[in-house]
Amino acid sequence: MGQPISSSPATAGRIALSLRDVVKTYVMGADEVHALRGVSLDVATNEYVAIMGASGSGKSTLMNVIGCLDVPTSGTYSLEGQPVAGMSEYQLAEIRNQRIGFVFQTFNLIPRSNVFHNVELPLIYAGVPRAQRRPRVEDAIARVGLTNRMRHKPNELSGGQRQRVAIARALVGQPSIILADEPTGNLDSKTGDEIMAVLDELHQAGQTILLVTHETYIARHALRIVRLRDGMIESDDAVPAGSLAGQ
Amino acid sequence: MKARLDLEESFRIALGSLRANKARGTLTTLGIIIGIVAVILTMTAAHGLQNTFRQSFSAVGADVIYVSRMPWVVMNDFFLYRNRPGLELRQADLLASKLRGRAIVNPSIGGQRDLKYRSATMEGVTIIGTTERQTLVSTAQPELGRFITDYDVTRRKNVCVIGTDVRDGLFGDAAAVNQELKIGRTTFRVIGVMEKQGGAFLGGPNFDRQVFVPITSYVKAFGGDRRQQNVDVAVKAPSHEAVAALEFEVIGEMRKIRQLRPAEADNFSINKLDTLVGAFDNIMGVVLLVGLLITGISLFVGGVGVMNIMFVSVTERTREIGIRKAIGAKPHSILFQFLFEAAAICLMGGLIGVVVASVLTAVVNATVMPASVSIPILLIAVLVAIGVGVAAGFLPAWRGARLNPIDALRYE
Ligand SMILES: Nc1ncnc2c1ncn2[C@@H]1O[C@H](COP(=O)(O)OP(=O)(O)OP(=O)(O)O)[C@@H](O)[C@H]1O
Ligand SMILES: [Mg+2]
Repeated sequence: MGQPISSSPATAGRIALSLRDVVKTYVMGADEVHALRGVSLDVATNEYVAIMGASGSGKSTLMNVIGCLDVPTSGTYSLEGQPVAGMSEYQLAEIRNQRIGFVFQTFNLIPRSNVFHNVELPLIYAGVPRAQRRPRVEDAIARVGLTNRMRHKPNELSGGQRQRVAIARALVGQPSIILADEPTGNLDSKTGDEIMAVLDELHQAGQTILLVTHETYIARHALRIVRLRDGMIESDDAVPAGSLAGQ
Repeated sequence: MKARLDLEESFRIALGSLRANKARGTLTTLGIIIGIVAVILTMTAAHGLQNTFRQSFSAVGADVIYVSRMPWVVMNDFFLYRNRPGLELRQADLLASKLRGRAIVNPSIGGQRDLKYRSATMEGVTIIGTTERQTLVSTAQPELGRFITDYDVTRRKNVCVIGTDVRDGLFGDAAAVNQELKIGRTTFRVIGVMEKQGGAFLGGPNFDRQVFVPITSYVKAFGGDRRQQNVDVAVKAPSHEAVAALEFEVIGEMRKIRQLRPAEADNFSINKLDTLVGAFDNIMGVVLLVGLLITGISLFVGGVGVMNIMFVSVTERTREIGIRKAIGAKPHSILFQFLFEAAAICLMGGLIGVVVASVLTAVVNATVMPASVSIPILLIAVLVAIGVGVAAGFLPAWRGARLNPIDALRYE
């Protein structure tokens, strides 16, 4: 298993998350699907990690465990030094709310709510008073360049714009990590590049980012590439700045 | 603070969902509307009956006890009283002299007779032979002219005081006082008209369709054999508190007058307004219970409809629940989101039900009988509607709140 490498100059090595021998097994009747078979991974703050691997290799499963949407079958996972095992549904919801920002392949916006309200939601669930929400929501929307679309519904936006809304929603709560599972998967390459530019900017500003992708040119934006194969880490390499990753 | 913000969002979502599914929500409320209308009408009817009852017996004072041959409320033991001797006027006078100074005693005797004035006639009008003390034991007073006096009674004057319905029936708009009418075959002069009592209670006595005459004149004109006399004696206590002691005393005196041995049971009855109200309340209790049972069933059916629609709503929004959980919604915010939605549907049904029931009541009031809805009943109905919503929404809402975020997100 490769050494965890911190390539970003900004990371002085504070641990953002740490997985040890994480196993995730899905039981489907008599069958068992081993989605993760012992993954150990450390990510420091402000790292920019791309997770790659064939379809079915366990990338999404890993992201879900890291995002506290799912709990591992065995192994330990701690977020900023705090073990997640044994937490209640309520505590997990708080962690997802305050320390994790999700960006999904399929955007997952609330269809009936406009851009502003979609971005505002995590703050509402965090209990931030209305007066404090507004400037933070407007700031997050400005960072993804959608200030002039604030009152639009998701179905009035292009795919790229929707993904920007999702990113604004992910970052508005100032999470420890942003988890993006194939954020460009539903977008053409030009729009995908625009989305990656937004993520790059967030990383420049100090954000820790984990990104799942199938595309080498997308993974190239990250500074570290972790490859999964059959639920195990196959390789874990730093990407030298300015070079093309992989083959 | 946090919880409050959560609820605000839950409330917002619930309203948004209702707005998005207007037709479905409205159809679902139909069951609730019917249930709520039934609840309001049942309670209004019971309330109305009770009011009419109170009003129609308002002339019967709460501090008066009546000594009669029979109890007012006879359930199924009629044969026990059938062979009792009637109360004679002579016995009533004896009781009056025993109680002199401690209570007002007024004997009265009644029967049905036909009335005739010129070409106008009225059949089966209640004629009451009484004394000048009638206006002391009852709250009803003459509106025009005067009431019977001591002089009328001792001199057996053929004078009468008529109720408003009798006045309207015989004289119309013309003046009644000093006119002479025929009661049966005897001529009586009208000396007064009683004020309107109102509210004859469901075939009960209509106090406006009565004629008062001196009891002595009554006996002279219609009385016959004194063995067949059947007098009612009203005994008015000086205060409501003194009624119980007085009742005890009256029973003792009556037993002496009737010469009953200690082992013999009373062969007369003591009646009070309380007895009547008690019997009535029992009946109303049963009516209300049956009514509420029936309305309960219709509300239950309405509630099941709401529960069904809420299960649909939760299933439809499984993915949305997943998204909300992924960004940090706690189980209780999801729970409240759907509880609010169910409560809002039912509240809407309840409010429509209130309007429908009010209109129906107004129609009944204008056509069939006096009826009015009361604010407390409407409030209760609205609360019941909300309660049904919360109860019906709980199971679906609970299911939504318990969803695993991953499964919910993957739901197609
Ligand atoms: N809820 C589930 N129940 C059963 N098996 C599951 C479940 N979720 C994932 N799996 C299985 O776990 C394995 C890993 O799935 P995962 O979604 O993590 O793959 P992935 O690397 O994200 O693939 P892709 O690139 O296609 O998104 C697969 O074999 C998948 O079938
Ligand atoms: Mg995947």
